[in-house]
Amino acid sequence: MSDTEMEGGVALNGASPTHSQLAERIDGGAMDVKSPNLNGAASIADSTISSRLPITVDKPTPFTFDLGNLLANDPNPVPASADEETLKATARDAAQALINQLLSTCQIKSDSEGVHLVLPAPTTALPREKPIPAAKEATKWERFAAKKGIKDKKRDGKLVYDEPTGEWVPKWGYKGKNKEGENDWLVEVDEKKEKATGEAHDARADSRKERKDRTKRNERKQRNNDRASRKNNGA
Amino acid sequence: MLKQVKPKNARAKRAMAKREPQHHENPKTTLFVSGQKTSQILKLAVADLSTLKRPFCEKFTKKNDIHPFDDASSLEFFSLKNDTSLLLLSLHSKKRPHCLTLARTFSHKILDMLELYINPETFRTLQQFKNKKPSVGLKPLIAFHGTVFEDPNETKYTLAKSLLVDFFKGQDATEVDVEGLQYLISISAEEPTDTRPNPEVKLRFYLLRTKRSGQKLPRVEVEEMGPRMDLTLGREQFPDADMMKQALKKPKGSEPRTKKNIDTDGMGDKTGKIHVGKQDFGNLQTRKMKGLKRSRVDRDEGNEEVGVEDDNATGGAAEAALTKKIKV
Repeated sequence: MSDTEMEGGVALNGASPTHSQLAERIDGGAMDVKSPNLNGAASIADSTISSRLPITVDKPTPFTFDLGNLLANDPNPVPASADEETLKATARDAAQALINQLLSTCQIKSDSEGVHLVLPAPTTALPREKPIPAAKEATKWERFAAKKGIKDKKRDGKLVYDEPTGEWVPKWGYKGKNKEGENDWLVEVDEKKEKATGEAHDARADSRKERKDRTKRNERKQRNNDRASRKNNGA
Repeated sequence: MLKQVKPKNARAKRAMAKREPQHHENPKTTLFVSGQKTSQILKLAVADLSTLKRPFCEKFTKKNDIHPFDDASSLEFFSLKNDTSLLLLSLHSKKRPHCLTLARTFSHKILDMLELYINPETFRTLQQFKNKKPSVGLKPLIAFHGTVFEDPNETKYTLAKSLLVDFFKGQDATEVDVEGLQYLISISAEEPTDTRPNPEVKLRFYLLRTKRSGQKLPRVEVEEMGPRMDLTLGREQFPDADMMKQALKKPKGSEPRTKKNIDTDGMGDKTGKIHVGKQDFGNLQTRKMKGLKRSRVDRDEGNEEVGVEDDNATGGAAEAALTKKIKV
């Protein structure tokens, strides 16, 4: 959200000027930064007239600014028992100083949408709303891989070449390569194994069971990693 | 503390992810809560402040029996439930008339609080000033006047400054439309004297008008737009030093890069600027054309020359080495 631009928003209570009116006002007034040459010419002509409105602000102590927050600090004491006129005058001075500072130091971008000022980062230290998110903890595998210097393998697509049929088949999923040996029409009986255990084995079912066990093992590892990371963050 | 729940669907998961701590935080939302008893002045003030705070505000309509300086747990709960880190409680009592309590939370725990008593005589609403109001959601210009806000120590006034800047600053922006600079919030406080050690904080809102000045910069005029509030500072709770330190931490990578010629562009791609040495156009290979080819005669001459050198080279070993160099 911080990178969004501030735009002239929706009108408030219907009492606000429309966009075009605003543009007119800005043009009529002199927030005109697009045509400095014109203004320059005018200033030469005007320089003889003494009734020119001053645009500089002179204060005993200079203002400090935080342009990222559009903030001006006026460290000069406010006169005692100031009336509304005095307050207005001090506010005007601050506004003038702040706008002078903005227009003279910020980069100005002008395009068809209007004139934009690029603001620097805010300098006033304001507290965050929530703590900085903790970095995600490395899983047990990631720690091991880092120790051994194992790099991630590039995954080149879902398909893999099946030598016997000469076709490209998916690595997993429907008719996946990892289901090989689960629905072969003919399987060899492992006599050694049958003799050892003393019971009939179904090679197809065993293959499927093995695959399911691998998935379960991986899920168990995931859960362990999650639990460990939660415990470490909580502590 | 709410029980850590696992989201049951994708929408809930997204909503929860949005509430988790973020590197770049969204603008702070303000919750307006009314206490057990409020006054007309407070209602008007809250209405105006929420109008100015839109769209980053939430408003409770029902009364809540909250006394934050005795027990702020309800405020913390509201902050957690509504994901709002600024809270404004309005409570009117005989002892503390027309009191607004501005509270700020960090990770849904109260960070600091300040009471502001509105002066009912000088209070004016937004609508009492008959002029065009600025658009919704604009970033205001803020100005602080007075030496009390510049105090290097932690005082009520510096706390008020920090809270008010946080309250009014709106959305953080890297760019601002010149047309969007429509109003100024002026916050001033007189010098503290022996008779009045706690001067009022005067909150004024002005519309900006720019006039042609004949120079490059415009002449700025202001016109009050309301609301007008004179606030006496009441009780305060300063932030806990440890908590504030945590809250002021900057995420890594947010500080500007100091390394020369290396940048990150808008897409987050790293870009570098490389300076290459001056190119020697003398031996630049241009397009090969038949017409520019050396003629057979030239080539023969060249061969002859090499041949001559070769002949010479047979004479001495040192000269042979020299020709080799030339050939290379």
